[in-house]
Amino acid sequence: MSRFVIIAAMVFGLALSAAGSAQAADAKQVFEFYCAQCHGVNGDGKGINVGKDFATDPRNFTVTADMEKRSDDDIRGVIKDGGPSISKSPLMPPWGATLSAAEVDGLLAHIRQLCKCKGK
Amino acid sequence: MRLLAVTVSLGAALLVMTTAPSYAAGGDAIFKKSCASCHYTDGPAKEKTIADQLAKKGPELFYAGSKFQKAWLAAWLQNPKPIRPMKYNSLTEHNKGDHPKMSAGDAAAVTDFLMGLTSPEVKAGVIKAGSSPQAKQIFGKKMPCTGCHEYLAGGEVHGGKSGPSLVGASKRLNPDWIYAYLANIKVFKPVRDMPDFSGVLSPKDMENVAAYLATFE
Ligand code: HEC
Ligand code: HEC
Ligand code: HEC
Repeated sequence: MSRFVIIAAMVFGLALSAAGSAQAADAKQVFEFYCAQCHGVNGDGKGINVGKDFATDPRNFTVTADMEKRSDDDIRGVIKDGGPSISKSPLMPPWGATLSAAEVDGLLAHIRQLCKCKGK
Repeated sequence: MRLLAVTVSLGAALLVMTTAPSYAAGGDAIFKKSCASCHYTDGPAKEKTIADQLAKKGPELFYAGSKFQKAWLAAWLQNPKPIRPMKYNSLTEHNKGDHPKMSAGDAAAVTDFLMGLTSPEVKAGVIKAGSSPQAKQIFGKKMPCTGCHEYLAGGEVHGGKSGPSLVGASKRLNPDWIYAYLANIKVFKPVRDMPDFSGVLSPKDMENVAAYLATFE
């Protein structure tokens, strides 16, 4: 009986951690597909689109001091509604009609990992 | 035994001879042989996930007849200059301009085949090329279009590199398709790194922008 419980717990734990890393992998893929073109694969703001004509540098997500000023809701909001929704550059596109709520949450978690910070 | 083999191969040769001429001349047959490994022509769009999109070796062509202008297509297939500044599906490698080239005859046949692939989502003859202050404002200021697309200004190429270049869009794209693409992007490209602007731009805005892009030199 106790053996069964342990095995069941192990299987459950394994399933949980697999689900967790699958989600993280998804968020990374989503970031690389949609966001890296401007924010760069590493989130440093140096994507392929950022050349001499790019009027406002895309946010560098690795700067903790900048990113910890933003609440989670601010970040979700700007991803969905674009830069102008928080009086920022329109070069930050609105992704609300493109991404699911789960994808936006994944991106938020990914950005928090990049800045090693929590929101206020 | 030998006789049988000869008879069979003779029969096969005859069969090929009788069917070959009309078959070889058809653009669809040429396409199947040289192009279908990278492009699909049977809609609706197949991609459901990012992985599906990344697995594609070239853009889908099931609505090519609604998207492209015939004269551009026939010329491009013979002399394919890069459309996307970056290699397809890559954000690191540049487009080497190594698309397969076709002879004039094959290009004409394949153009006929591709121009027959139209989409019911595209209403023909509605959008007329023309510039407007509203469209200029949207494309250049209010929306992030120039962040991802090249365009010509003052004889120089400006803009971002992740999307197809819009330089020469007036010769390449059908204005009615541009409108349909902006209004209903998922039908054409369910998974793409361009945002869906439905709900952000009004139908009138989209008409204006489509008409404006259709003037791009
Ligand atoms: C076309 C280029 C472009 C793309 C693509 C893009 N961004 Fe941005 N983003 C920007 C720019 C430019 C800014 C800076 C706006 C400013 O500072 O005025 C920005 C700012 C942001 C901010 C706000 C940071 C702050 O100041 O609070 C967040 C969050 C963000 N982007 C997330 C994303 C995510 C997530 C994606 C992918 C779904 C994405 N961006 C795709 C250009 C882009
Ligand atoms: C090895 C893969 C490959 C093969 C084979 C191939 N293509 Fe392409 N094709 C591509 C890629 C990649 C692009 C994008 C090129 C660019 O953006 O410059 C493209 C672009 C196109 C376009 C423009 C589509 C668009 O939406 O921009 C047409 C039309 C086209 N190909 C037709 C053909 C025809 C006809 C053939 C057969 C002779 C063919 N291709 C063979 C990979 C391929
Ligand atoms: C974040 C980058 C990005 C932004 C912002 C963006 N696009 Fe795009 N656009 C793309 C990409 C990438 C494609 C090609 C998608 C594919 O083929 O998979 C594309 C395709 C297009 C095409 C079709 C071109 C062709 O030859 O196939 C048009 C037209 C277009 N975009 C217009 C616009 C307009 C107008 C805006 C602004 C309202 C805009 N785009 C904003 C990235 C972007």
